Amino acid sequence: MEEFSDIVPEIVDAVVELFTGMIMMDICQDGEPLSKPGTMKDSITGMVGLAGTHKGMLAVHIPKELALAITTSFLGMEVEEINEDVQDAIGEIANMLGGSMKSILSDKGKDIQLSLPTTISGEEYNFVSQADVGVVVIPMKAQAGTLMVQLELAAG
Amino acid sequence: MAKNVLVVDDSSTMRKIVTRSLRQAGLDFGDIFEAGDGQEALDVLEKESVDIVLSDINMPNMNGIEFLREKGTRDGIKDIPVFMISTETGEDIIGEAKSLGAVGALKKPFTPDKVNESLGPLM
Repeated sequence: MEEFSDIVPEIVDAVVELFTGMIMMDICQDGEPLSKPGTMKDSITGMVGLAGTHKGMLAVHIPKELALAITTSFLGMEVEEINEDVQDAIGEIANMLGGSMKSILSDKGKDIQLSLPTTISGEEYNFVSQADVGVVVIPMKAQAGTLMVQLELAAG
Repeated sequence: MAKNVLVVDDSSTMRKIVTRSLRQAGLDFGDIFEAGDGQEALDVLEKESVDIVLSDINMPNMNGIEFLREKGTRDGIKDIPVFMISTETGEDIIGEAKSLGAVGALKKPFTPDKVNESLGPLM
């Protein structure tokens, strides 16, 4: 996890920029980075793959209440259950953070490609990394809950 | 006269955010049309009166670069300006978009102020 220490502040800045600038929601880092996210409960995860000079994945794990608050803010209308709008909104969160990650990892975002975003959600699920990837998980606290940003990068 | 805008993005949420940001930025626009990918955008351009296109780059079916390339071959629509709104910041991709006729680019995430600053002169 030490290999990520230089870029954790930049990832935190990217999340804060996204939430304060586009979602109109305050958010801040909530404790030290972790090496794994643990079991997700009543949550939704948005993720994008990274390919090119840096291979891996960016995921954002968001508890249901916070995901609903984000989507409500995005759409300007009340959302009460995880539905297609929530999946689309959280996928777009992952996509925008993935775009920021490109700029963080590579000079001006060159030579890294993003996949289209994917979401998964459920009452309880685990997000398991393969053994040969580096992982950092950054908890970020907003009023409606704490999300986790997870970056995985293949060694080398 | 207020300009008609076509917003192209595979995310319906992002299409709504772009439209809302135009309003919040205080920009004057007419009708808003939406498309979920480049092919849908071409279909809208062939049918409707559109003055400016705001397009994502990474989309399924036909992405923003392919859309620019195809649009440039169609006489009736090739001169409609396209402004890219995307997570892409790479000089190679943005450079390719501009070489295909894109008039500018704005990085996601963006704020209404950034929208005003970038799109104000075009609207």
